[in-house]
Order: sequence, then structure tokens, then C-alpha cells
Amino acid sequence: MLTISSLRVAYGPRTALRGVSLEVSPGEILALIGPNGAGKTTLVRAVSGTIPVASGRVAVNGQDLTRLTVTQRARVLAVVPQARQLGGAYSVEQAVMMGRTAHMSWLGRESEADRAAVRLALRQTQLESYAHRSIAQLSGGEQQRVLLARALAQSTPVLLLDEPTNHLDLQHQTNLLSLVRQLAEEQQLAVMMALHDLNLVSFFADKVALLVDGELKHCGTPQEVIRAETISQAYRTPVEIVAHPVTGAPIIFPSGVLNRNGA
Amino acid sequence: MLRKRPYLLNILLLLVAFVFSIALGAVFIPPGTILRILADRLPGIAFTPDWPNAFAAIILSVRLPHTVLVVLTGAALGSSGAAYQGLFRNPLADPYLIGVAAGAGLGAVIAMTLNWPTDLFGFYLIPVGAFIGAVTTVLLVYNLARVNGMVPLTTLILAGVAVGAFASAVTSSLMLRTDLQIHRAISFLLGGSPMLGWDPVVAALPYMVIGMGLLSLSGHMLNVLQFGEEEAKQMGLAVDRAKVFVIVTASLTTAVAVAFSGVIGFVGLIVPHIIRLLWGPDYRRLIPLSILGGGSMLLLADMLARVLLAPSTLPVGVVTAMAGAPFFLWILRRAKKEVFW
Repeated sequence: MLTISSLRVAYGPRTALRGVSLEVSPGEILALIGPNGAGKTTLVRAVSGTIPVASGRVAVNGQDLTRLTVTQRARVLAVVPQARQLGGAYSVEQAVMMGRTAHMSWLGRESEADRAAVRLALRQTQLESYAHRSIAQLSGGEQQRVLLARALAQSTPVLLLDEPTNHLDLQHQTNLLSLVRQLAEEQQLAVMMALHDLNLVSFFADKVALLVDGELKHCGTPQEVIRAETISQAYRTPVEIVAHPVTGAPIIFPSGVLNRNGA
Repeated sequence: MLRKRPYLLNILLLLVAFVFSIALGAVFIPPGTILRILADRLPGIAFTPDWPNAFAAIILSVRLPHTVLVVLTGAALGSSGAAYQGLFRNPLADPYLIGVAAGAGLGAVIAMTLNWPTDLFGFYLIPVGAFIGAVTTVLLVYNLARVNGMVPLTTLILAGVAVGAFASAVTSSLMLRTDLQIHRAISFLLGGSPMLGWDPVVAALPYMVIGMGLLSLSGHMLNVLQFGEEEAKQMGLAVDRAKVFVIVTASLTTAVAVAFSGVIGFVGLIVPHIIRLLWGPDYRRLIPLSILGGGSMLLLADMLARVLLAPSTLPVGVVTAMAGAPFFLWILRRAKKEVFW
């Protein structure tokens, strides 16, 4: 269980997060939404310990993360960074093995447990046949799976993802998020991810947290949070929402602007 | 076939270069004779000497210590170059190009001019001065070159050149003010003054063993750092401690090389690059292989330096620069074309 209480983060004089409190249970996916600059990435980075926290508390199963060393924290919480071009000629297996850093000795000697964790992570992300390929030669979607596998190899109860589907096409977005959905349930991972695409959010997330100007405006199920007036106000643009004919999940459209049918 | 056995191949190369380096000189001594003379010194082995007496003296007190010092210097520059490249995540980092060698040279020369050493204790102080110079330079260049937590290629080289030029200028003026001969001063700055005899080898060896031994252990940290400091932290690497570890050990290693052999460029650039192309980017292997490859490459350059203008000797740094500068430009063109870091 990931518990964030009254988290405040400041960049110099500018307050980036104003007392955000959230909870994510094992097996649950919480999506962070909000306009650009609302603090989604800041929240992910603060929870992962990459940027300092002004006040508040982040805990996993009651254990305060701010009291842990970098290495201890990496055994509790793993981060999948934004999709980007991966350089270097490391093989997929080598890259995933680096996710075991927190479990290895300071000098990086691999144990049988490390190798087993890497094999499992490669299997979970369907990368086994790529193990010896160079990461630089993979497609964007495959590289993002490598970053996910690296985070899974950390064997942590909590997984954070920062805009994991940026730059991916529809097929790879869906594949990646289905995989995260499946892993959350099977491994009982507590997952928190920043995500731009609200339709993907309503499809894949159990809970949605809407951030505006560093403040948590709403938190609840997709049906509760993704509502026309809430989203229109937060994003300062009029939207319409209809329910998915089968699942009832909210689907979002821009409105009040001329579309190509002139409506 | 040997490509699959990188350690074996590099050890063989080093051994061949080692024997030829001893063979070459005003008198050519055949490799077979060299091996017998060296084996003769080992306990329990004795040959009936069928070689001129002078050969044993030439080998044991002139060519062998020179060759060992060249190997140590090349190994140090190769491995510290690999480590700096990993630390800066930049394929053009080289102890010479980023100014660390010049900084170490300045530190060494300050130590020399304070009290020009004649005894072994004095010798041990030169690397300390060089080490202080090297660490100061690397911190200065790193902070000058840093933009938003990254160390871009252009600012790194510019900062390195500027700081290095300044350190070299101060070094020259210090050397010319004292009663050192001008030839020796210039030679030092061009990387042409491996000191003679066993004293520098004995003085360098402990620092070298410690420095290169620790560098060989830093492979995993450097691998993880290639994903950037933020991700390295998220993977559980104590990034600040790792950086200090690499800076201190790489600078120590460079400093000792410079203290006893002068300012030699491009070895730390060429060697890790060739090894990376042949055997991949894994620093756990790249650093030990750069130790072996650096030794072989500097031996080769040193042999060329002794042969090209025989009977006079070129500074070995001149040879490495002649080979290294075009190589540098080649990497620069490649780096512009593709992002491979």
C-alpha cells in the first residue's frame, strides 16, 4: 500500500505541489491526470525520491520512504521513465539486469536470485526472445517494454510510471497498459502512473486523481472524476462525455469548437 | 576466433608488444635472447649465457624498466579514459582532452619545483601533487561544462581545452623559471619524458595497482550511470558516492601516469573506443580490457617514437597525437550523425 500524505514540493519560491494526499492499494492502478504543469510528473518524481520534498510523508506499507537510502528505496519502489530513444549498445538482458542494482552488492555481482528475477521480468514483458538483442536496435514500443522489465526486475511492491505511453502509437499504448493492468492484478502491485490520454485512463485505471496547479482537485473512479464539467474546468476547454456502450467507461470529446462537420 | 576471447587476445598482444619493445633500440636484441635473459633471472632456471654481457645490463637496467613504465602509463590512460567516458556519458572524454592530464602535469611540476626530488621519497611525492592537480581540474571542468545536469560534448571539450591550456601555460612558466632544462620542460608537456631506471616504476606501481584495481571494480556503477543520474538513483545506485569513487580513482590513475611519463594524449580516447566497438559497452569488461589494450597501444606508439627519427627519439605524446587527432575527428563525425549514447 502506497500512502502519500500532505505532500508539498517547492521549486525555489514556486510551490509545485500543495499538500497532496493519495492512497494506492495492491492490485490497484491510480492514474494522475491534469493539464500540463499541474504537477503530475513532479508528484511521480517526489514519490520516487528524485526531488526533495518540502513537507509531508510518503510511505509504503507504513514505512517512511524519506528515511530510506537510495538503495533501500529502490527495493520498495520502481519507476518506469517516459518513453525515449535509448542509446548505448547494451543487450536487453544487460539493461534489465541493471534493475537489480539495489539487490546486488556495491560492485554489482549477480546472484542466482538476480538472474531468476531478470528471467521472470523478461517473460512477463514477452521480451525473452529479445534478450540478446541490442536495446538501441529496438522499436519505441519494445524499448518501453525493456524499461518496464527493468522496473519489474527490481521486485518492488510499488510501481510508478511517468507518461509511459508518450511517443507510442495506439497499438503499443494499448499493449503496454494492458500489460501493466495484468501485472498489477497478478503481482498485486500498487501502480501509480501519470497519463495524458483521458480515454486510456478511463479504460485502464481503477482510480483517477485530477491535479490542477499542484492541488488535488478530485480523486475517485474514472466515472466519478472524468465528468464534463470537472474536466472542462480543469483543462480550461469545453468537453463532452459519453459512456462506452458496453463498459460504461467515460469517453471524452472536445466540444464548443468547430469540428470538420461544422457541428 | 580470438575475438571471442578478448582477454586472451589482449594479453597476447601485450606480451608480443612487450618483448618487441625490449628488443628495439640502438642494438637489436633478438626476442629469443630476451626471453632467455629474463628467464635466467628467475629462481631455479639457469642458462649458459650465449649472449654478450652488455645485453643483460641493457635489458635489465634500461629497456625493461622503460618498457614496464610505458605499459603502466598506457594502461592507466586507457582505463581512466574509459572511466571518464562513462562518468561524463560522453565518448570524447579523455584525460588529455578534458584537461585532467594538464592539471596533473601542473600538480606534478609544482611538486617537483618545490623540492626537485632526488631520492625515492621525493619520487613518491610527485604523484601526490599530480593527484591534487588532477582532481582539482576534473571538478573544475565538470562544473564548468555542466548544463542542466548534463555534460554536453561541446561544453566539455571547450572547458577541458580552456582549463588544460591554462594549466599547461602555468606549467611551462614554472618549468622555465626554475633551472630545469628547456628541453626537458617541453618534453614533459609533449608527453616525452618517461623517467629512466627502476625508481619511477617502483614509485608508480603501488598507486597504479590501487587506482586501476579500483577502476576495474567500478564497471557496474558506470553501466547504471549510462541511463542518466535520475534513473540510476531510481534503480538504487548511490549516485553521488559512485561519482566520487570514479572521479577519485580515475584521477589518481591519470595523475600517476602523468607524473612519471609527461602529458600524453588520446590513448584514453582511442583504446576504449576500439574495445567498445569490438566487445560492446559493458564497463565491467571495458575497463580491464582498456588496461591491457592501453598498455599495448602505448608500447606501439613508444616503439614508433623511438624508430621514426632514429637515432633521436620523438616524445611519445607526439606520436599518439598524430594518430589520435584524426581518430578524434572521425568519432566527432560519427557522433554528429547518430546519437549513440
